[in-house]
Amino acid sequence: MSPQPATTGRPAVAPEEGVAAIETYAAPRSLAEAVALLRTGEATILAGGTDLMPQSKTGRARFQRMLMNVRHVPELRGIRGTQDCVRFGALTTITELLDSALVKNRFNALWQAADHFASEQLRNAATIGGNICNASPAGDTLVPLLVFDARVELTSEVNGAAARRTLPLAEFFVGPGRTQRRATELLTAVEVPLPPDGFFSEFYKFGTRPALDISAIAIGFGAVRDGQRLRQVRVAFGAVAPTPIRAAKTEAALASQPLPAAIEPALAAAAADIHPISDIRASAWYRRELVRNVLRRMLNNVTQN
Amino acid sequence: MSPKIDVAFKLNGVDVRTTVSPGMSALEMLRDELHLTGTKYGCGEGECGACTINVDGLSANACLMFAADCHGREIVTIEGLVSDPRTEALKKSFVAYGAVQCGFCTPGFVMQARNLLEKVRSPTPEQIRRGIEGNLCRCTGYKKIVEAISEAAAASS
Amino acid sequence: MDAMEKPKYDGSLIGKRIPKMDAPEKASGKTRYIHDIDLPGQLHAKILRSSEVHARIVAIDTGAARALPGVHAVITAADVPWQRPIGVAKDHLPLKGDRVRSPRDEIAAVAAESEDIAAAAVKLIKVEYEPLPIVATAEDSLKPGAALLHGEDLIVTGPDGKREVVHKASHDNVAMTFNYGQGDIPNGEAESVVVVEDVFRLHYVTHCCMGVSGVIAEFDASENLLLYSNTQVPFLHKREFAELLGMDPGRIRIIQPPIGGGFGSKLDIYPFEPIAIYLAKITHRPVKLIFSREEEFMASPTRQPVLLKMRSGCRSDGRLTFRDVETVHDNGAYTSWGATTPFVMMQTISSLYRVPNCNYRTRAIYTNNPYAGSFRGYGNLQATFAVEAHMDKLAEAIGMDPLEFRLINAQDPGEVTPQGMHFKSCGFKDCLQTAASRSDYQAKFSAARGKWNDGNPVKRGVGMASMLHVGGGAKIYPSDGCGTIIKMDDFAHITLITGASEIGQGSETVLAQLACEELGLPLSAVTVVNNDTDVKPWDVGVHASRTTFIAGNSALGAARKAKAKILAAAASKFGRPAERLDLREGCVIDKATGEKLIEIGKLIRSLHFSDKAELVMTTFYYEPPSHKQDKEFRGDVSAAYAWATQVVEIEVDTETGIVKLLKVIGAHDVGRVLNRLGIEGQIEGGVVMGQGYALTEDLIVENGVIRNPNFRDYKLVTAPEIPEIDVSFIETMDGEGPQGAKGVGEAPAICVAAAVANAIYNATGVRITALPFTPENVYRALHSNSQPPTWIAAA
Repeated sequence: MSPQPATTGRPAVAPEEGVAAIETYAAPRSLAEAVALLRTGEATILAGGTDLMPQSKTGRARFQRMLMNVRHVPELRGIRGTQDCVRFGALTTITELLDSALVKNRFNALWQAADHFASEQLRNAATIGGNICNASPAGDTLVPLLVFDARVELTSEVNGAAARRTLPLAEFFVGPGRTQRRATELLTAVEVPLPPDGFFSEFYKFGTRPALDISAIAIGFGAVRDGQRLRQVRVAFGAVAPTPIRAAKTEAALASQPLPAAIEPALAAAAADIHPISDIRASAWYRRELVRNVLRRMLNNVTQN
Repeated sequence: MSPKIDVAFKLNGVDVRTTVSPGMSALEMLRDELHLTGTKYGCGEGECGACTINVDGLSANACLMFAADCHGREIVTIEGLVSDPRTEALKKSFVAYGAVQCGFCTPGFVMQARNLLEKVRSPTPEQIRRGIEGNLCRCTGYKKIVEAISEAAAASS
Repeated sequence: MDAMEKPKYDGSLIGKRIPKMDAPEKASGKTRYIHDIDLPGQLHAKILRSSEVHARIVAIDTGAARALPGVHAVITAADVPWQRPIGVAKDHLPLKGDRVRSPRDEIAAVAAESEDIAAAAVKLIKVEYEPLPIVATAEDSLKPGAALLHGEDLIVTGPDGKREVVHKASHDNVAMTFNYGQGDIPNGEAESVVVVEDVFRLHYVTHCCMGVSGVIAEFDASENLLLYSNTQVPFLHKREFAELLGMDPGRIRIIQPPIGGGFGSKLDIYPFEPIAIYLAKITHRPVKLIFSREEEFMASPTRQPVLLKMRSGCRSDGRLTFRDVETVHDNGAYTSWGATTPFVMMQTISSLYRVPNCNYRTRAIYTNNPYAGSFRGYGNLQATFAVEAHMDKLAEAIGMDPLEFRLINAQDPGEVTPQGMHFKSCGFKDCLQTAASRSDYQAKFSAARGKWNDGNPVKRGVGMASMLHVGGGAKIYPSDGCGTIIKMDDFAHITLITGASEIGQGSETVLAQLACEELGLPLSAVTVVNNDTDVKPWDVGVHASRTTFIAGNSALGAARKAKAKILAAAASKFGRPAERLDLREGCVIDKATGEKLIEIGKLIRSLHFSDKAELVMTTFYYEPPSHKQDKEFRGDVSAAYAWATQVVEIEVDTETGIVKLLKVIGAHDVGRVLNRLGIEGQIEGGVVMGQGYALTEDLIVENGVIRNPNFRDYKLVTAPEIPEIDVSFIETMDGEGPQGAKGVGEAPAICVAAAVANAIYNATGVRITALPFTPENVYRALHSNSQPPTWIAAA
């Protein structure tokens, strides 16, 4: 489940735009069939359903004429590693991420995000593709995927054949709940390059409980350690901007000098990278304080270990 | 107006067929169409676990699942576990350890606990607490639920 | 008979760990809650609520809704001109015709073939509003010129066309006031070496029963009303519904299916109930109305938010001199039980500790906010929060250990307080000492204070708080009693018909234990009937931690009468005096020899199979020896009082504001433990509910609108967050209690927030006087980025 704004934050749609708008239901059995059905761009895509269902029940989901259940499309399943890249089918569930030795060994921050994700019932249903397409600023898997330079693969039918394009995840998000996906496209996979040897990563989600909580802030961090120098530093933040973001200034500050001298400049840079708002979960001021204090704590831990 | 969708699936070991509407949740289908009321509505948003069922061997919130998506699946509810030894052990220990007060959340806890014990035979109290983090209880304060699951694990392993 | 399974006897049932009798059904998913009941021909109802916070209703158009296929009825206030007001002040019409005062307000309702059709029809109703100024806080509400929430007479038109003013226009927004005083404040202040003053702000929380609210209403052919209801007070509601509907209360039957949580939320009638009844009346069909979770957040009651100013003092020897308290309660738009929580708050303020001079003034103020009801603890969480903060502050100010300071001021058995409460049994000092020693409170308290400036961002602390609450009923009505009927069959199986209502707390099991203990029967020989007003005898209701005490004494009384009847029959049959006989292990025995004379069932069969047949069927009514308060709020309202002390250990992360509750060490004076399993469950559940009040739960209300009507953002405590809980029972064997027991239902939730506040101070040196202690609130307080609450300026 990718967390959404409080139900009161998302406007209700007109009754005729809700579930009543659905005229047909389709459950394609292949990718070709799925993208063919998407040709007119008039389908609402159902994957895990963990966001779509509550939104529809509270009258806050806008439905297209077709409800297309993609859960039986085999091409959307599976985690496959190649020499330099791992391909996560869009229907990969959070549980599958958690159970994957590859994820645990090579993508620790992603594994940690999966571990902090909602609850087991939701982890079993929610998919990585759904989490990405929901484009919540606080989406749990998005921050670590940004740390790992993930790319999304979008498939559509062009001239009767499946056509693919990929783009960096960092460019995919446009705003809260909005992405670059076209109505005729299906998000088919997430490709994540294998991080370089020695790359370590951490995910921190702020909250009072391990899971079933929506981030007031989330921080993803990864780097290759070279003594007290960090190389290939990647930092991403969640819930501090309209979309999850990579923190370019923070990364530059951390790469420019060794620890611990880099810490305070990095904190100042982070303050410039983020643009938090106040909502019912946290004030902008508090989000800034958290980013500073938590990032400092993470970097101090790195320095000391 | 809204299309009718025929679904066929295995429910508690028996093949069933029914007709659902596109917006209907599995929870509504189970309760209103198939009259299995052991699965409860608590929030409709996957936040309370009162509607926990088992879908193809994994626990799920019935309230988040589209009824249409049940087609071809194997679904088990609390009613389908009357002769399942692990569930029987859980029910017994929930009773004996005082893990039931108003009881509204209890079937969901039993379902989720069974799911946990299928995966981890002898969970630590910490693993149990994490295992039921998606289930809310307003009466018991969870302590006796954790003890009951611990006991059931010991009894059935 | 011989082939039958023999019951097991295991000595006395009192104090044992007895599983809840209805738990096997519940654990199997077989229990039918109100949501699970469907009647043939039943229609489903949905309510249209206001889209505005405060507005005049200019027009309502139900045409499209009425035209929708499957819709049986659409009603607005115009369709029920005879509707009468509900609530404690009768200021609230179920359907609003001319004005809405809150987004929960009911404007129209639909009965239809299905929930989906009813919901679709509700969306087709068009309402035109003319907005009115929003009164968002009690402070704004008291300002001169503030919009008046009830500034016009509330008039209803009876079925005979007669117009009647049912609630008079109010010239201000004050819904209710309570003033209490004892001694003389200036004298007390003059005797003080130290005086402290603070303003405390207590926030909105709500019950979050796991089962949402619902009702099924049906009229029979003779216009008798049958209600399936989750009310906690069925007999009071029979009468109230009768007044609302202008019918004879005797023609109303309330069946209470098992309830998915109560906690005080079902003590009042809410608009959805009369609305379902109107629809049933109009459609001549059973009508079922069930809330969604969002509706439950919006339209079920809250705990009362309070702004509280307290001034207290003590002498150099630690004795309290005075306490002066003023409160403003945000009443919301209508008046429910929340407005009356000062009844309970003043007990804590005047009598938890001995304080000779005490003054307490309260006002409940109308606003456009959600309205407050009763909620486990009934004001006591709020009062205890303030009183216990000042106990720590005063102790610190005179340089005394907080435990010692409390022991100096704690009540003793036998005390009659100036407010008139008589503490016949009182284990308060035992509670204090037990909780302190089991938690190593004093050593930890000193150690934590020494680490305020040690540079470690993660601090630990301990905090202590105690509570006083009614434990032997609460006589707020002329009667606080409960009736029981016991009927014994030919096989020595009893049906125990109690007036008491079961809301998950385990009353059926405790009542069965008490009866079985008296009759020498196993628990398997009892069926408890507690859910039908046509069957069960009168009871005030399940509230005020009264059921074990009041219904327990009632069950005991009925069992004693049954026993006397059985023993008399045995006496004549065996020619031995009844005083020599007793009932044990299903038999009549001779006390002196232990000889089993006859199985009870056999004896009863011999009574029945005779030409002078005699039934063993007894009734008993128990009315506690307590008194209604007089107009000055003086009186011994409860037959017994419960005490408790809780010490909490916490960890505060000063860099995030996260407060972790690590451990709760409680000592509770419960009179006597009847069912150890049940009482532990009450305490653990109450502690975690108190934890939610202190740390996680916050119903965010902005300009009259609830911003987080869901479990995603209204955070109940989840399993990974619970503390270690250590409970000691102080058994004072109350002379009036059943087997010595006192009430305990509300007690465990009361102290937690107060103790956590003291622990945060102990850990950090920062005193926070506003709840909740959510991470941002704590962080702001620790980093001086928040204003402590201030007293209202205008008044």
